[in-house]
Amino acid sequence: MLTTDRIAGTALCLLALFVMEESRKLPLGTLRNPGPAYMPVLLAALLVVLGALILAMGRHSTPIAAVGWSEARHAAVILGVSGFIALGLERLGYRLTMLIALSCLVWLVERRRFLVAALFAIGMTFGSFYLFDTLLRVPLPRGPAGM
Amino acid sequence: MAETLQNLALGFSVALSPPVLLYAFVGCVVGTLVGVLPGVGPLAGISLLLPATFGLNATNAIVMLAGIYYGAMYGGSTTSILMRIPGEAASVMTCIDGYAMARKGRAGAALAIAAIGSFIAGTVSVVALMLLAPPLAILALRFGPPEYFALLLLGLLVLAYMSGGSMVKSLAMAVLGLLLGMVGIDQMSGYFRFAYGIVELGDGIGVVPLAVGLFGIAEVLATAGQETPPEVLKPRLRELLPSRREWRDSVMPIGRGTVLGFVIGIIPGSAHIIASFVSYALERRLSRRPEEFGRGAVAGVAGPESANNAATSGAFVPMLALGVPSGPIPAVMLAALMVHGVAPGPLLIKQSPELFWGFIASMYVGNLMLLALNLPMVGLFVNVLRAPYSFLYPAIIMFCVVGVYAVNGSVVDVWIALLMGALGYLLRKLGFETAPIVLGAILAPMIELALRQSLAMSDGQYGIFLSRPIAGSLLASGALLVLLNLLSWMARGLDWRRRLALTEKGENL
Amino acid sequence: MTQLRVALAILSLGGVALGQSAAAQEPYPSRPITVVAPFPPGGVADLTARPVGAAMEKALRQPVGVVNKTGAAGAVGMQFVATSKPDGYTLLLALSSISIIPEADKLFGRPPAFTVDQFAPIALISADPTVLVVRAESPWKTAREFIEDARKRPGQISYSSSGIYGTLHMATELLSHAAGINLRHVPYPGAGPALTAVLGGHVDALASGPAVVLPHIKAGKLRALAGWGERRVAALPDVPTFKELGYPEAEFYIWAGLFAPRGTPEPVLQKLRDALRVAVNDPEFKSAMDKLQTPVAFKQGEEFQKFFEADARRLAEGVRKVGRIEQK
Repeated sequence: MLTTDRIAGTALCLLALFVMEESRKLPLGTLRNPGPAYMPVLLAALLVVLGALILAMGRHSTPIAAVGWSEARHAAVILGVSGFIALGLERLGYRLTMLIALSCLVWLVERRRFLVAALFAIGMTFGSFYLFDTLLRVPLPRGPAGM
Repeated sequence: MAETLQNLALGFSVALSPPVLLYAFVGCVVGTLVGVLPGVGPLAGISLLLPATFGLNATNAIVMLAGIYYGAMYGGSTTSILMRIPGEAASVMTCIDGYAMARKGRAGAALAIAAIGSFIAGTVSVVALMLLAPPLAILALRFGPPEYFALLLLGLLVLAYMSGGSMVKSLAMAVLGLLLGMVGIDQMSGYFRFAYGIVELGDGIGVVPLAVGLFGIAEVLATAGQETPPEVLKPRLRELLPSRREWRDSVMPIGRGTVLGFVIGIIPGSAHIIASFVSYALERRLSRRPEEFGRGAVAGVAGPESANNAATSGAFVPMLALGVPSGPIPAVMLAALMVHGVAPGPLLIKQSPELFWGFIASMYVGNLMLLALNLPMVGLFVNVLRAPYSFLYPAIIMFCVVGVYAVNGSVVDVWIALLMGALGYLLRKLGFETAPIVLGAILAPMIELALRQSLAMSDGQYGIFLSRPIAGSLLASGALLVLLNLLSWMARGLDWRRRLALTEKGENL
Repeated sequence: MTQLRVALAILSLGGVALGQSAAAQEPYPSRPITVVAPFPPGGVADLTARPVGAAMEKALRQPVGVVNKTGAAGAVGMQFVATSKPDGYTLLLALSSISIIPEADKLFGRPPAFTVDQFAPIALISADPTVLVVRAESPWKTAREFIEDARKRPGQISYSSSGIYGTLHMATELLSHAAGINLRHVPYPGAGPALTAVLGGHVDALASGPAVVLPHIKAGKLRALAGWGERRVAALPDVPTFKELGYPEAEFYIWAGLFAPRGTPEPVLQKLRDALRVAVNDPEFKSAMDKLQTPVAFKQGEEFQKFFEADARRLAEGVRKVGRIEQK
């Protein structure tokens, strides 16, 4: 039966093993002169132990189905839009990217009225741009057409 | 004593002159703003406004920059309490209990206690700074790699007290955080670890994207899709102030937080961020009702917030008394001094008394200004919560992204924040605490560096940790603590932890 | 309706493209220029870049803004400029580490973040020789005593640095090779912590830029033993150079120079050089550098090229000699 702890424990063990594998590229050093791989390997070993413990005791935790993933789809969409922001920030420039992202979120995802969404997006985008770029002097990337 | 009072009089005459007042005020306002905005923290704020100070005279410049620094500590608690999004990395601990208090309708009380705790801590620590700067600074210099290692090891012990629930799970998260801290250039050998060719990862996974992602973005991801938007009991005006019980509960934490924060702030290179973590763990350990932590314990807000502010004053001790930076922010301020022709160094206090005493006096004034700024704004900020969540969370995402980007101008940071947001969301669903990850990521590179530096200093001899008095005594007290805890744990049995774990099972945090 | 929108979008994009190419025909400079300082604010690169930018603004009559792009000991900012358009609007204020980082990358067998020949040097602005400082209470009163002692007790005397393969580390390594001594290296994450370490007595010595240690020397906390420069440091006239002491290979400067990406058209480079020449003679610039206690050392064209190449060769040799620490 898939429980949260079993999944988490497995994931942690796998991560630890991955770290150990990657650390093989770095010299280990000795106890008196530890190398760059020393601490990662030590920590990964610890993580394997902990992950295995969590996995072993995982029978009593909540089954994965019972956790309640109702908001997961929504979260995935938000992540997607955020990913778009990250991609577009330096290619399309700050204002254009934010305009698209905010309108997308408020109009398409949250199903608010188009006019309200547009005003909100424009206000937020240009307001934050003024705040950061002009007042705080944080250079925000500009894309095509100086946006 | 009389001399100090005379100097203080000199200082106040400088601090209360209109231009200095103005710049202190500007610094405080900008600092609060910078603190409120997620991601952009005091370091980013000071760095960005450093060029703007070039045209000012030295006192005005330093007063403004200092205002930004401690102002950010006031402002950082606001978003932490209202939206569970850290305004800067140091406010991560306030997110936990502060937000829980807000959910119970005590947002106003939390904000007020944070502001007042910050004020008391800020003022008291300035007094300590004023009276004890030179001798404390000399003590601070005695801290070398072996002492750091011992101190940080003690800090790791703190991790055990940070969260309730399963010890194994908290440890696993701490180790995960420690591993995340391993990414980047290895300071001792020059190897790039786990960076996969991305130059921006050379300095490691930044604390800011990590904290903002794990707490801020994860929060939005978990809450946005809920059927019913987060239920925040709209407080009435009377309920904006803390109750008598809440006052009582915060007195001792504020006191302890102040001392703790100040001490941690003095020690160069100790990362003042950890002051709030240590304070939280201390309060939890000393509290008579530890099960309240995570659910809205006042001490969990009062302690860390005071520690934050005290640490900023502590950071100024080595900077002003010796001309030695105790962290990246004092380093920028030292550079500001240099640019203005004031040579920082041991003779600063003697050679530029108006600067030193004016600076100290303006810190008193600044703390007052910030209290006056923040308390009335409590009502204003709480009203922000009334906006419909559909509009609130896109704005939050926007601020998080810009804030994280603003720190280094790097999109890689934004990606890290997003990835950490997804991770934080998953971990919450699976029932893991995320605060230990942040602390682990901060401590890991420091502990490793301290250990290897100590071994380099002693040519591989581990005895260096015991032969040096401060390091030795720190390690001894750490061992003592562990021993005491083991004994009491065995004596009391697993009682209170199991009780906690059982009560927490019912909630999916 | 959508077709109209698409058409409008294409038209406006086309207009923008036309506008941009038209701008390319305009005389340089016609837009604000960005100087990238690859170090955090408050550091040497940053504090030098700003007065330079301000002075150049007057000469070029276009805003010259300084942008900090920090990370990986400067590699992030340097890589950014190396890969940006060579149109003269993105410049780099680099420190001597520009020659060290690609060598270090080669040493570790990683693809280099950038290479030195991706840049076209414009001019040198300042060149501070490092000085060797020890605590005032230390037993060594002169550099000779220090070196003698180091020969007698190899590996016992420790020194701090701002990071492995960093400028301060390389300076000390050059000395070690020139004088045939063996010192113990304790790296610190930056010049500030390295200074704190010496002041606190956790290491014995430090090679540092003169500006930061001057106040401590004046206050009697530190003692300067010798300098890495060709000439004595102006503010420390009693401190000999390693050249005078018989170690001419121990020559090291923390220098700051302006670079452009390779491929920037020659007329643009020439304009920048002229502007820079005017800028370093600007009185405001001079006073700013004075406050930083950093003397101006302007070299351009052939002179800078020679200086740069000699320095790069020296540093590359040094890095190779240091080798990978783990393999010792």
